[in-house]
Amino acid sequence: MAELNETIHQTVRLRIMAALVTLETNEELEFTYLRDLLEVTDGNLGAHLRKLEDASYITINKTFVERKPRTYLSATANGRKVFSEHVAALETILKSK
Amino acid sequence: MNISPTEAEEALTAIQTMMQKTRRAISSSGAYKFLILWGAIWMVGFLGSQFLPKEMAGYVWIGLDIMGGILSAIIGIRMNRGVRTSTPTSSGKRIGIFWLLLFFYCFAAVAVAWPVDGKQLAMFIILFVTVGWIAMGLLLSFASVWWGLALLGLSLVAYFLLPDIFYLLMAFLGGGGMIALGIHMRNRW
Repeated sequence: MAELNETIHQTVRLRIMAALVTLETNEELEFTYLRDLLEVTDGNLGAHLRKLEDASYITINKTFVERKPRTYLSATANGRKVFSEHVAALETILKSK
Repeated sequence: MNISPTEAEEALTAIQTMMQKTRRAISSSGAYKFLILWGAIWMVGFLGSQFLPKEMAGYVWIGLDIMGGILSAIIGIRMNRGVRTSTPTSSGKRIGIFWLLLFFYCFAAVAVAWPVDGKQLAMFIILFVTVGWIAMGLLLSFASVWWGLALLGLSLVAYFLLPDIFYLLMAFLGGGGMIALGIHMRNRW
């Protein structure tokens, strides 16, 4: 039986993962784009992203586009797997209602 | 870690909402710009056709179409900058190239059919723009396909059945409708 993941379950991190797993596996989301989607501050988003990166659920790719610094984010294969397990665990709990 | 079924339901709802919001943001983030751009071009162009001398209206249309083709290509290339793909040619660039090619096809079709009168020229432009619109709808936001088809239908009805007010109908219902739909799409999320 799938288990809930404490790192992912926090509200903002759950929404970050939901956004990132929506992308194709070869796509990345830009930091400010995700920040606007989530309606959170830069600092708040940055803190949650570090936790997800430490757990190897996401990849943070810092680069330059037209001489401007850009940060791109994507879910790792492990992150996608853990997220789907978390969703399955949530559905199991809901069915037991 | 234990949570109640109510908390699980709330979490699942949050996930679903976020996934839907992300999909919408990615898919329709640029489509509205095409609508507002071509709506404004149609409104100015058709009002020119209705009220300006024939030759001057033709020059206005040529200028507007060149501007529209270039701006559509720029919008296509700049689209979805928030999403980056590892594939060599991004969809944004392909969309930009598609609009440039469509513009040249339209130009070529008019040149082959020349001489054409003002209404025929307008219908050529409408046919090509609605083809582009429907193609964008199929790629980016399926709901807008129906609006493109409706505009195409309206244009054909006005062209064949209401020729005296064809330009005015196209300016306000066609151009105005495209601008209104573009603003609606932009504000939807």
